[in-house]
Amino acid sequence: MKLSQTIVGLMLISGLSVSPLFAGDATEADDSDLRMDQVLAQAETTPEAEQQRQAGPARDPLDPQPARMRAMQVGGGDQEVTSGTAFNPAISVILDGVYYNEFSGHVEDAPGFDFGHDHGHGGHGHGLESGFQIREAELSFSGTVDPYFDMFVMAALFENGVELEEAYVTTRSLPAGLQIKAGRFLSDVGYINKQHIHDWQFVDAPWVIDNLFGEEGLRENGIQLTWMPATRSYTRFGLELLHGESEGVANYVGDGRHEMVTVLPRHVVDPNVGPDDPGAEEPVRNRWRDDKGLHQTSSPRLITAFAKWAPNLGYDHALQLGVFGGVSDAHQMEETHSSGRLETWDGDAKFYGFDLVYKYDGGGIHGHRSFQFQTEYIRREMNLHYQSRQFTDFGTLEPTTRNPDGDVVDQEWVQDGIYAQAVYGFAPRWNMGLRVDALGLTNDAYEDQPDGRGLPVSLGSSKRFALQTTYAPTEFSRIRAQLNYNDFAHHDDEAWEFMLQYNISLGVHGAHAF
Amino acid sequence: MKRVIIGMLLMLAAVAASAEVRVAATVPNMGMLARVIGGDAVDVTVMAPADRDAHYLEARPSMMAALRRADVVVAVGAELEVGWLPAALQGANNPRVQVGRTGYFEGAAHIELIEAGAAADRAGGDVHPAGNPHFYMDPQRMAEVGFALAERLGRLDSDNAERFLENAERFAAMADERVAAWLERAEDVPGAVLYHKDANYLTRLFDAPILGYLEPLPGIPPTARHLRGLVRDLDGRDGITLYTDFQPSRGADFLERELGWPSRQLPNQVSTTADDAEEYFEMIDRWVEALASVR
Repeated sequence: MKLSQTIVGLMLISGLSVSPLFAGDATEADDSDLRMDQVLAQAETTPEAEQQRQAGPARDPLDPQPARMRAMQVGGGDQEVTSGTAFNPAISVILDGVYYNEFSGHVEDAPGFDFGHDHGHGGHGHGLESGFQIREAELSFSGTVDPYFDMFVMAALFENGVELEEAYVTTRSLPAGLQIKAGRFLSDVGYINKQHIHDWQFVDAPWVIDNLFGEEGLRENGIQLTWMPATRSYTRFGLELLHGESEGVANYVGDGRHEMVTVLPRHVVDPNVGPDDPGAEEPVRNRWRDDKGLHQTSSPRLITAFAKWAPNLGYDHALQLGVFGGVSDAHQMEETHSSGRLETWDGDAKFYGFDLVYKYDGGGIHGHRSFQFQTEYIRREMNLHYQSRQFTDFGTLEPTTRNPDGDVVDQEWVQDGIYAQAVYGFAPRWNMGLRVDALGLTNDAYEDQPDGRGLPVSLGSSKRFALQTTYAPTEFSRIRAQLNYNDFAHHDDEAWEFMLQYNISLGVHGAHAF
Repeated sequence: MKRVIIGMLLMLAAVAASAEVRVAATVPNMGMLARVIGGDAVDVTVMAPADRDAHYLEARPSMMAALRRADVVVAVGAELEVGWLPAALQGANNPRVQVGRTGYFEGAAHIELIEAGAAADRAGGDVHPAGNPHFYMDPQRMAEVGFALAERLGRLDSDNAERFLENAERFAAMADERVAAWLERAEDVPGAVLYHKDANYLTRLFDAPILGYLEPLPGIPPTARHLRGLVRDLDGRDGITLYTDFQPSRGADFLERELGWPSRQLPNQVSTTADDAEEYFEMIDRWVEALASVR
């Protein structure tokens, strides 16, 4: 024992005494060798070795030279200690499965908000089907590209395909608190819009996001510029130039032809036989077509802006306030009927709102005694030129005449929605949350009525109450049960929903943004 | 109006004149080290509170504000702050403190970590394959990190480089002196049960055996079955249960009841405002005292 300690002490001394040789141009290998010696010595240290060490020339507190050599050696690298493997991006797979059951009544679109939802746009929404389902498996890759860019890519795998949820680069080296994000990303307006399913505290998204932005939220191709002034409290301003394809506020159809093909029987008389021929029914194929007449505009068609501010409230409390808005110069929709009738809406849209998030850290383990409250309000205004048209001849669409006042109308839609939710960690690993949705507090809309779709109606608001309980064994797995009660604006329309969700993450421990 | 403008100009001048290196420290222990090494040439903000588990925090706006203004971030590293620091750094819009820059400093990168090389398999709980990140429980490793930090701060403020090194040397000398005294006090202690693997560097320093953990696996809260197993294994032995001020006391209470072992709930971080080494050594001293209190 005594001998080994002496050897360790000698190793240390020799390590330090040769170190001046490397002082000028220490390579990494020298560096680590030296450190290994020291650490070995330190780890194996005992009182005797310690005294020896202190008595030896290498550790004389009055002699600064060795200490300085040490600092030069060990302080040389900028490296970080991580289990991420060399140059591979951090990868994670997040599986989200849901059991869904409507056990009373029927869940429908809230009155005034039935655009876009019932026309099967394909692609992926967060709508749930009855029974067991894998909602998605998110596959994400992230990493640092070079000293100038970080990159993040997330693909959602479904049973029937793959969708690129997000794929963007962010800058790492712009000066003056500026950062640019470019690619396909979830807009940073509001609070919950930029979150993925696994960040949500409820199984489903708040109604305002689904109904005012579209089922996928505001997810766009484009570019975002943010600026953070160097203030004591957190302040962030952002501007986004977006392609414009979100179905709720920037649904671009563009011009194109409306086509209809009819095959109708025609009575044909054979001229060779003459007027005595009883004739025959022959099919005649006709193609009817005309331009839809929707206005064309080029990208970016949606521009949004936001500001967020968070005062310093100490370690236990965090509050963030935000305001945001967006304008789209092309918001268009169309609906074709089997009769050949074409309904179009063509115009622009804007939205604005605020968000508030408050979090309290109660100091318990695994989320115990923590509390979170969040609320968001969004108001959308659409100015749309509505036309109900049909073919009068093979090449001309003319307004229908169901109702002269209602078939070609300039419509001004004004609708809003709000949600508020609170979640409390009532035990380690357990939390419970309540959410209230209200949609159409202002609901100046236009509905399909017997006398035409172009006529304004002022509809009531729909409400939804959700109660959830979550059990999270670790930060990588989560099981959640949720009960929804829907109270739709139409008289007597009520529905109850029950959901069970599991959300499991495999792979690198992703950091949670606020 | 004129006065307001003059006042604002003076304020701006004051800001410009304060050439202090602005440090954003992740946890209070690193904030203490930055203040001890940097003295009045640094202005330190501590992002995480003392009485929370730094592993389970989330990125908050206040952290991003601190990082936005910082010249250097001083972290423990080895993925202790992995749950929030990367997100906070990405949201800070500050190129100076990004990983790889002079302004990103991670203590774990400058010392040898223990328990490195564990299989990266979370069946073993919340494992750290890169090594145990809680090196701040070893004053001598802290001193080593102090030298590296002095060198780094010296690169950011070359006028004070000498001073930083002198401060690092003073801290190292204090650490050596303390450790020598503690080694005498904590000789041949029977050892301790810990809640988590967060005092391993300290017990190693004294060759004090770790008799078990209250957590069945890292990051998994104690279960009744695991605690009963501990009691079965440790029946008839002596020891003490040590846990931190953010860990619950239930498991320690159980061992106290079943084995008659004493337990001690201790802080493992200094206060967020700590600006001298004394407070840090006192914090370690309480752990040593607790280890040595059973024979």
